[in-house]
This record gives sequence, structure tokens and C-alpha cells, in this order.
Amino acid sequence: MSNVKTGITLFSLGTPYLKGELDLEGVIRSAAEMGAEGYEIVASQMIPSYPYVSDEFVEFVNRCKEKYGIGPICYSANMDRGMLKDRDLTEDEMVARAITDVISANKLGCTVMREQYLLSPQGLARLAPYAEAYNVHVGIEIHNPESPITQSILDYVEVIEKTKSKYIGFVPDFGCFATKPNKPYWDRALAGGATEEQLERCAQLRYDDVPMDEAMKIMAPEGQKCPALFAALNSMYGFVQFRKSCKAELEGLKKIMPYCFEMHGKCHYVDENLHEVSIPYEEIIPVIADSDYNGYIVTEFEDEGGYDSLEQTRRHVAMVKKLLGQI
Amino acid sequence: MGFALRMNFVDVVVSDSLKNYYVNGEKMGYQFDIRLSYYRGHFLSVIDEFAVKVDDIEVPTERIKFCINGKEFSPIEFDKCYTEFWQAIEPATVRVFYPGGLPEGEHKIDVTLFFRSPYMPIGPDHQYMPVDSCGSKTLEITD
Repeated sequence: MSNVKTGITLFSLGTPYLKGELDLEGVIRSAAEMGAEGYEIVASQMIPSYPYVSDEFVEFVNRCKEKYGIGPICYSANMDRGMLKDRDLTEDEMVARAITDVISANKLGCTVMREQYLLSPQGLARLAPYAEAYNVHVGIEIHNPESPITQSILDYVEVIEKTKSKYIGFVPDFGCFATKPNKPYWDRALAGGATEEQLERCAQLRYDDVPMDEAMKIMAPEGQKCPALFAALNSMYGFVQFRKSCKAELEGLKKIMPYCFEMHGKCHYVDENLHEVSIPYEEIIPVIADSDYNGYIVTEFEDEGGYDSLEQTRRHVAMVKKLLGQI
Repeated sequence: MGFALRMNFVDVVVSDSLKNYYVNGEKMGYQFDIRLSYYRGHFLSVIDEFAVKVDDIEVPTERIKFCINGKEFSPIEFDKCYTEFWQAIEPATVRVFYPGGLPEGEHKIDVTLFFRSPYMPIGPDHQYMPVDSCGSKTLEITD
């Protein structure tokens, strides 16, 4: 029996926050008004004492919880492997940073932490004793172009199963189940002079799994005349890939479900009928509802420009609740 | 600099921020504020390129202090500032040693700032996505 709650990552409201239209309290209040039962916070975006959590910030967060009824449930960490000028961080240094994040997550009252894939499977295993001690479940984000069945994710599964720790696992991002081209990128290419017909041909190359080099070569004569077309094609082979069907990926999700601590409900565009146009939520949500998953689906609106982040986030939360049969 | 990502929410050079600053009652130079053009904050050690031009004249780097977190850093120190975090919503103050200060009126400020996004590798050997946080604006000096 699943127990699914809906939340929002405050990152979804990053645009009004960065523009100064909403302060952090306003962002939290908005999330509560949209029906979030808890929120994720990208630490490097919104925690004033980053990478630490000050007593003052804890007080602020608790005050907001009293006022608006919701608190932080996931601390979203970054793995800044390239932060030094002349070399990558070593694994020891990355583990040290991740331990700091676990301590900060705990201080904030989060029992889940999103970690990024630059922390290797071995590094994640080294984090397990700290995650257990601080009661913070550390999940590697599974982000497009990775999916629950790609090799680099299976490498983490191997380590998770070997350590037998219940505190290391995953935070899948639904963007990895996309079955249609990304709408904001498509719109941008149209605005940049590409035609629907050209974009359809690009999408078909992706659907047909034509290798990227070859696809670029095929579209080269037109792409050279229209850089926006090339940019769209690039994205189709980048972070917003898609395929005809996500059945195999959803089967993969079922297998790793016991290791999932939170889900990122990615969205780029939800229409007025509460339908995400690229990511098949109608297929994804039942898989989670029918599992033993106990945790949050956290709305993550990725603002690519062109749509109102408050409206998109509100629609997405409503869509997830509707598909879960909660409204 | 080849391709660089641009993620802009607000102007890099902050409006109405140009003013002279005083030491011992004398104008010792001028200052203005800038914002990081990105969705999250960063450690100063990710800055790869930083330069300032005022009225089309390049400011010598050693005359610049970059002020965040109540501290003042020289651009040559950025690579050692891997614990100094510049928040995405907090402006940094760029302070330029220029005894006598800038004359009244409008001045054109051009800031060149490129940094690498340290969690976005784009190849082996310490290659990360370059991000463009440059900005230009003509400001009236307010003091």
C-alpha cells in the first residue's frame, strides 16, 4: 500500500524569488497555498548561511511552519566537484562536503537529502553511516538522460544492495520518462525561425534512435541557416531526451522503488486541462500509487521562460493530486 | 570564450548603486553593486574571468575590492576563496580605489564575469559549463 504525499521544491518558484517579487517566506506561503504538504529546498539557492544552517534560519523555518503549516522535507544538495580552480575535488573531499550537507539537512529537520551523481557509488556507500546516524536518507537524483535502467544508475543499485543500508538510495526525476519533445524548447526554436515541419523531423530522428552525430549531419544544411533548430536538436539528445515508450523505464522504477526516498515531479508545461505535454504522468502515477512507496512527489517546475511559474506549479500539484485520486 | 550558458533573472549591474566612498572624510574611490546571473549562489573560487571597465577604460585589477559577507577580496584571491559563498539574491559591492572619486554625472559600467558551473562537467580534465554573468549599465553617480 502506497502512502503518497504531494510537495513542492521551492526551486519551482525560483524566478519570482530571484527577481525579488517573493521573499523566502512568500515562496513558502505560496507553496502552502498551492496545497503542498511539505517542501524541498535547494540549499545553495535559498539558505542564507549555506552550506551551514544557522540557528536563526531554523527559527525562521519553524516560524513559517507555524504560520503556513508546512516545513522542509528534503534538503537538496549540490556536488560541486569543479569548485576548485585547478583540479576536481577528490572522493575524500566530496564525501566531506556531503557529510556537511547531511548535518545541515538534519539541523533543518529534513529526513531526505537529494545528492547529485558526481558523488560516485563508492562515495555514496561511505556516506551511509552518517546518513543513518543523522536520520537523513540520501538519494542520488536520477535525471534525464539517466533513467532507472541506465548502467550508471544500476552501479548505484549494486552498492546500495551490498551495503544493505536503508539510508542510501534514489530520488528519481520524472523527466527521465519523457515520451514527447520538450515544449518550451520547441517554442523557443519556433520563435528562433525553425518551422514545425523541421522540428517534427528532428523529433523523428530522436524517436528512431538515430545517433546524435548522424542526426546533426542530416540536419546540418538547415541547422546552419537556423541555429535555433540546432539548439532544439541538441536538447533532444541532452537533458530533455524522449522516447516512444517509457514502459521499460517504469519497470525499472518498480525494481528500485524500495530505494526511493522522494520523487521529483518534473514539469515544463502543464496545460489548462492538467496534462503535462511531454511527460506521461497518466502512466507514471499509477505505477507509484500501486507500489509500496511511502513518501513525497515533489513538484519541480523547470522554468525555461515563457510560462508563469506560480500558475505552472499550481497546475502541476493539482494534476498529481487528481491522478492520485486525492481531489 | 566560446559558448557560455546565460541564465538571467535580474540586471547584473544594480541600478542606482553607483556612489563615491569616503576615507578620512575624503573621496577614496567609487563603488557599485552587481548580482550573480544564475539561479543559485556560488563559491568565489568558480570565477574564471573578472574585469571592470568604467567609461570604456579598464580598471587595473589591483584597485578592485570585491565585497561580500562583510569581507573584501581582491580578484587575484578568488581561487583561494572556496569557502566564501556568494548568495544568488545578495548583491556584491565592487569597490574601486580612485582617490578623488568619480565626477558628477553618468558613467558607463561594464562588468565581465564568467564562472564555471561546478556540478555540470562537459568533458574530462576539469571542464565545466561556462556561465556568462556579464553586465553593462550607465549609472548616475549618487554621491
